[in-house]
Parts: sequence; structure tokens; C-alpha cells
Amino acid sequence: MRIQLRVNEQPVEMEARADETLLIALRRAGFRSARLTCGIGVCGACTVLVDDLPISSCLVLAPAAAGAAITTAEGMADDDPVARAFMEVNAFQCGYCTPGFVLTAKALLSEVPNPTDEEIRHALAGNLCRCGSYVKIAKAVRIAAASIR
Amino acid sequence: MTLDARITGRIEYAQDQAVEGMLHARILRSPHAHAKLVAINTAALPAGIVCLTRDDVADLEPLYGPMVKDQPIVARDRVRHVGDVVAAVAARTPREADEALDLIEVEYAELPGAFDPVEATGDSAPVIHEGLEFPPDLRPDGRNVCHRFRLRSGLGRDGFAGADVVVEETFTVAGAAHVPMEPHATLAYWADGRLHVITGTQTPFNVRRDLAALFRIPEDMIRVLVAPMGGSFGAKTFMRLEAVTAALARKAGRPVRTVLTRAEEFLTVNRHPARFHIKLGASKEGTFVAKSVDAWWDTGAYADCGPSVCTKGGYAAIGPYRIPNVAVDSRSVYTNRPPAGAFRGYAATQGVWASERATDLMADRLGIDPLELRVRNLLKDGDRFATGEVMKDVRFADCLKAAADAVSWSDGRTNKGIAVMLKGMQTPSRTGAALEIDADGRIVLRSATTDMGQRNEIAQRLLAASALGLSPGHVSVGPNDTDLVPFDTRTTSSRSTFMMSIAIRDAAADLRAKIADRLEIAPEDLVLDDKGAGAAGSPSRRLAFTALAGLRGDGSFVTPGGLDPDTGQGIASSHWHQAAAAAEVSVDSETGVVTIARLHTAVYAGNVVDRPGAELQNEGSTIFGIGTALLEGIVFDDGQVTNGNLSDYEIPSILDVPDFTYDLVEGGEHSHGLGEMAVPVVPAAIGNAVAAAGHLVRDLPMTAEKVVDAKAAR
Repeated sequence: MRIQLRVNEQPVEMEARADETLLIALRRAGFRSARLTCGIGVCGACTVLVDDLPISSCLVLAPAAAGAAITTAEGMADDDPVARAFMEVNAFQCGYCTPGFVLTAKALLSEVPNPTDEEIRHALAGNLCRCGSYVKIAKAVRIAAASIR
Repeated sequence: MTLDARITGRIEYAQDQAVEGMLHARILRSPHAHAKLVAINTAALPAGIVCLTRDDVADLEPLYGPMVKDQPIVARDRVRHVGDVVAAVAARTPREADEALDLIEVEYAELPGAFDPVEATGDSAPVIHEGLEFPPDLRPDGRNVCHRFRLRSGLGRDGFAGADVVVEETFTVAGAAHVPMEPHATLAYWADGRLHVITGTQTPFNVRRDLAALFRIPEDMIRVLVAPMGGSFGAKTFMRLEAVTAALARKAGRPVRTVLTRAEEFLTVNRHPARFHIKLGASKEGTFVAKSVDAWWDTGAYADCGPSVCTKGGYAAIGPYRIPNVAVDSRSVYTNRPPAGAFRGYAATQGVWASERATDLMADRLGIDPLELRVRNLLKDGDRFATGEVMKDVRFADCLKAAADAVSWSDGRTNKGIAVMLKGMQTPSRTGAALEIDADGRIVLRSATTDMGQRNEIAQRLLAASALGLSPGHVSVGPNDTDLVPFDTRTTSSRSTFMMSIAIRDAAADLRAKIADRLEIAPEDLVLDDKGAGAAGSPSRRLAFTALAGLRGDGSFVTPGGLDPDTGQGIASSHWHQAAAAAEVSVDSETGVVTIARLHTAVYAGNVVDRPGAELQNEGSTIFGIGTALLEGIVFDDGQVTNGNLSDYEIPSILDVPDFTYDLVEGGEHSHGLGEMAVPVVPAAIGNAVAAAGHLVRDLPMTAEKVVDAKAAR
């Protein structure tokens, strides 16, 4: 079936089966910053923002996202403060999980502009980084929060 | 500032590689741990599905493997583990390939299995491989043993006669999953009479060699391109999907890509479960007199690098100590479980766990401070290790002191633990690097170091730029293509920064000599800057880099060595990885929950090349150690993995990571790899802290249940 939605502020029409996930449909449409790792909503590598909320796109059927406004990491501007903070403190290694972390952090900061360390940790608990870049990821979120204020 | 492609997600990993006309592959796997493969019926497959079974590889070399040729591309007469490859299909879409798997009928006749590395060596255990040919340096002594490493120094086991106090204990370490966020992925196609393989691998030259042997073609008929990997941690070492994907592409006459599912990851390669029996003897004053190490490593259904794991883990379990009498018997044993292979912390994790817990048992018995006991027995510069090697550039005491100080060891040892280790690097090994001036006058580094997120490109650009006297922006790294890069043994064992730093310096000296020759000046008079080359004192002699295009400097570095498999004497490592950790914990004795209050790692880094990268690697390696210590263990029901998903198999999230500190201990002449230095010491330090809290744990991971039981057992 054909599904119409907005991705990164552009109208996109995707062809997807009714039983396909949003993740598979997005990747086929070229948005490959969302990635399949666990397939059960645990790891956050498939995170996209749906109407500004982070969701695991491996758990959402593509047709359910019809009409939604989706943000993927490809849509971030070069001056995005969260992305820049991740660059500044080298908050990534292999980079596979990075888009999901950045998007989750963006959603956190839009809701809680001045989060405590504990709030940062809890917000990021649904994203896994096997390279173990957590120390610098948390630092990046603190720096991003400060730069937005 | 342009955002890094790793942040925007535009980087293309192995799984993202695609070519025109590509088919998608899926693998049919055995549901049985051990069975005869009676019949395969593919008649129900629709047209357009390409299916690879044993009949399609009959013209190829039957078996492959990095150390023992024991693994078929697809099963021939038997399956040896749950998940063993029975057949593979390629279709236009992954879904069609998935659906095709259900249409293949396979008839099995189940056989008894072996699921424990000690029991598998017994006379009643089923024999898992028959008629294998082992290379001359392996010792397949005993049933299902693919290698037995033996080390003897001094009087060996007879040395215990001279000890006042002897402690002994059995320790185990569970199997673990690497869990790279990106699964294994390979694309293969045959074109222009050659095999092209684009793959996520740490070992492009091993893959090329093994493919050449399998397909019976010269190595130069094969081109291996390494794509960036979304993590590996040892999982993408040696042949994984390359052979089956290339064979499928050969049959299809089209490009084929294989990407594993998460469940398949747990059935493809894991960390070795291991069992250690350690015996340590000392004088009543606390001088080590004798030590014996008996180890059984479950290498699973195929040896992979198991023989090397039992060797390196065997000597790592001796520890960085002066011990006059040592005996090690370490066996790599086939079982009917998924293969075990290289894993971050390579064999040292298991050996150090057993060894350093035993060191604390001795400290307890003697009533000596565990730090004091270690320092008293540590190897120093000029001492001989049990392999006969004379130690140099020794930093064990520095690492231990830094770790102990960080947890205020001298203020009291309640709930605190400490650990120290020595770990070898791949030896012997060989590395080449080249620096070329391209048509635009830029310097291109040709290096086979593979990218799995360890920032090797940044470190190597810095090394090359510094050796040439240029700014890092003037140096780029060329594609990782076996057609273009000089030979390098592989990107493993934290060897790349050490080996490449020397090879790149050598290549830079060669390039400088060639440029000087072009300028007709002595190399010592050559001055390079980002615009070009000149001569000191004669400003008229100058050439732009574009005028030097095509010049190439070659460099190499080779380390000799290796250990005798019967005596353990020789050169284990061209230099030693050295690290220590200290932990302070609290243990809830009702629930068994361990909370880390303080954790510090101190790792010998030599000269740090890329500080952010060095920090990231050590932070990541510390967190890996926390996972191994408290969370991670594959649970088997005989041959079946029962927790093969990321809900039941937990890797550390940010909530599992306490605040921790670390030192990158600098000094010496060289740069050292430090991607896995903290992994082995962190579980041992935490385990010793948990023991100091009254729970004498013997088995990793220290799950809450085991911690509670360890209290009861005391």
C-alpha cells in the first residue's frame, strides 16, 4: 500500500506492505540512519522522532505512521546544537547507534531544557551503545543543554 | 562545521553496501546440536530462488578454518551445532528469501551431543570431527581436543613441594556474545574473472587467503574490500559470511548480499566458556613459589582461533608474577555448541579472572594485604616470565599503584578489590604501510587497518602527518582494498596502533628519502611543509607536491616469535599489554545485587596518539568489563542458546555504568594499543571486591543469584 507522510519536513510517499515495519519502509526509502539491531524495541538503534517523540521504528507498522511528521538523523542541520555537541566531545565510536542517541537527546532537551544528570541517564536508557561511549554521550547532552539555554 | 557522517547516519556500513542486480541471501540453519544430514529436498522452491546446498560446493575445497580446516561452507554429512549452516538461498528481496527457507525440507538423524569441555574429552563423549588434518604446530591430544598448550618452567608441578602454603580453586567464565550493533554483513560478486567481496571484517588478508584455498584460485583473483563496521569486538574476525555468500553468488551468477539477524548472531560466534583449576603455592612470607593452571576452553563445533585462545589464556593465567615453578595445561575442546572465537579481551579475560581471584585467596590465607602480595611478586624489568622472555618496559607496579590510590586503598580495604594483568599481542605478525603522493599533491596512506569504530584513521593520519612534518589535514587514508593496501596480519589484539606507528614511520622515512633524491639533496636537509618540499638553506630548490605525484614510500614492521606448544617457551608477545583495576562495591546480601561505588582502571598507553580516541577506547573497554562482570552470559540448554536476544541477554546500558575513573599511563618509546586493556581486569577487581564483602564468587558473570549462593557457600 502507499503511505504518505512527512520525513525531515519533506513530503514522502512510500510503498509498504501492511505488515512491514516503519523501520524497513524508511530504510528502503533511503533513510538509513535508522538501523535494525535488536528488532524488539530494546536497543534504540532504530529511533526516529514521530511528531517530535522518540520511538522505536522497529515496533511500528509502516501504515500506522501515515500522516505523521518524522525526523531522522539525516534531517539534522549542520548547526544542530545536539549534533554539534556530539561532534565537539567525540561522543561516538563506530557511530551505528549515534543517530538514535542524538534524536533521543533532542527530544529530551525539547521537553526538559535543563536536565539533571539523572534525567539524562534515564532519558538515554533505551539506547544501547556497545562501543561504550556513554561517558562522552552524557557529556554531549549536558553541553548541548547549556548551548541551547 | 560539517557534521560527521556517523552523526547524520550517512556513513555506509557493510550492511548498506549494494550493487546493481544484487540478490538477498538467507541461511537455513540446523535446529539440532548434532545430527546426520540425511537428505535435503529443495523441489518446492519456486523459480527464481537460488539455493546453495552441499551438491553445489562439491568441486570446491571441502573445509576451511584459520587454524584447523574443519568447517564446511554448507553442511556435508553432519551438522555439529544449533545454527550450523545447512543451506543458503538468494532471492530478489529479503522477504522472498525468508519465505523460501520454509520450503526446504531437511531430514536429520539426531546424534548424541557433547556440551561440556571437560566431559567432551571423556571416553564416552561423541567424537565431533573425524579425519581432520591438523597443522604440525597443533597438539590435538585427546578426544575432541583441537589443541593442548603446555608450559613448564622450573620444576613445574614438583615445585609445590617447596611451598609453605598452597591454595587451589576452580573458576569458570560463561560464554558471551559480542553484540556488535551492526550484525555480520557481506556482499560478494564475480566479475572480470575475479571474486569481489565487500565485507565487514577485521581480517581481510585471512579472508582472501582462505577464499583462495576454498575456491582453488590464486589470491590475486580475489579482492576484499573492507566496509566500516558498526562494531565488531572480535566477532568479525576470520571467515564468517564471505565463503557462503561467494559460493551463492557463483551459483546465482549475480551479486549476493547476506546480513545476519540478531538471533543468528548468537549462533555464529561467541566468547569461549572456560573452566580453570588454579593452584598457587607461596612461602609463609608471601613469595610465590609455584603455580599450576589447568584450563578447558569450549571452542564449540569448529576450532576457529580456539588453539590460539587456549595458548594466550593459558599464559595470561600465570599473571605478571615472578614464579620459579610453573605448569600450564590448557586445552581447546570441540563441543556441539556454536563456535567460539576472538572476543575483546582475548582469552585474558578468562585467565585473569581465575588467576587474580586465586591471588586474593592466597592473600587471605597468608593474611597479607592483596596489594602488598602482588607488588612483592610482580615482574620487574629484567625478570624472566615463565615463557623465558626477559621483561622490559614493565609498568605493572605503576598501573597497580594508580588503581589502588584511586580507591583510597591505604585507608582501608573493606569491600575493595584489585587486579593486575599481562596480556600478549599477536606474535609473530607483520605490518606494511605505504604513503603515496597523489595527482592533487595530497598524501594518501595505504593501510589495511580495518575500521570498527576505533578511530584508526584519525590516529594513523596523525602518525603519518607527524612523521612527515605535515599537518594532519594533508594526509588522507585510502580505501581498504586488498588490491591497494600492503599486507597486514590483521586488525586484532590491540596491535594496530603499535605496529602501524612503526611501519608508518618507516614509510615516511622512505618517502622522505625519495623526495630528497628528486631534489638531489641529502634526506637530512629535506624540509616538508603543506605546500611542498624544499632544502634547508637553499630556498631555490623547491618542488610542489603536485610535481612529486606518484612517489611512494613503503614501510614495514615484523615481529618474530611464537611459543613451543609442548614447553611454552619462546616469545609469547613482542610487547606486553599491562593494566590494573581497583573497585569498591556494596553488596546487598539478601538480594545479591552488587553496586559499584568506585571503579578505576590504569592502562599502559605508551605515547598517546589520539587522546579522544584513547579515552573512548578505554571507557568502552571498562564498560565491556562491567558487562562481563555482572551481566553477560550466554545460557545454554545443552546445545541451544536460550537467551539469544537483547531482552534476555543484557549488555550494559547507561544505567548500568557507574561513575568511574582511569589513567592512561604514558611513557616509553612506543604507542600501545589499549582497546581491550581494561576488559580483563575489571571483572577480577570487582570479583575481589565482592569477595572482600564476604561473597566468594568463583563464576562469571556475578549475577545476583550467584552472589547470594557465594555467601551461603562460605
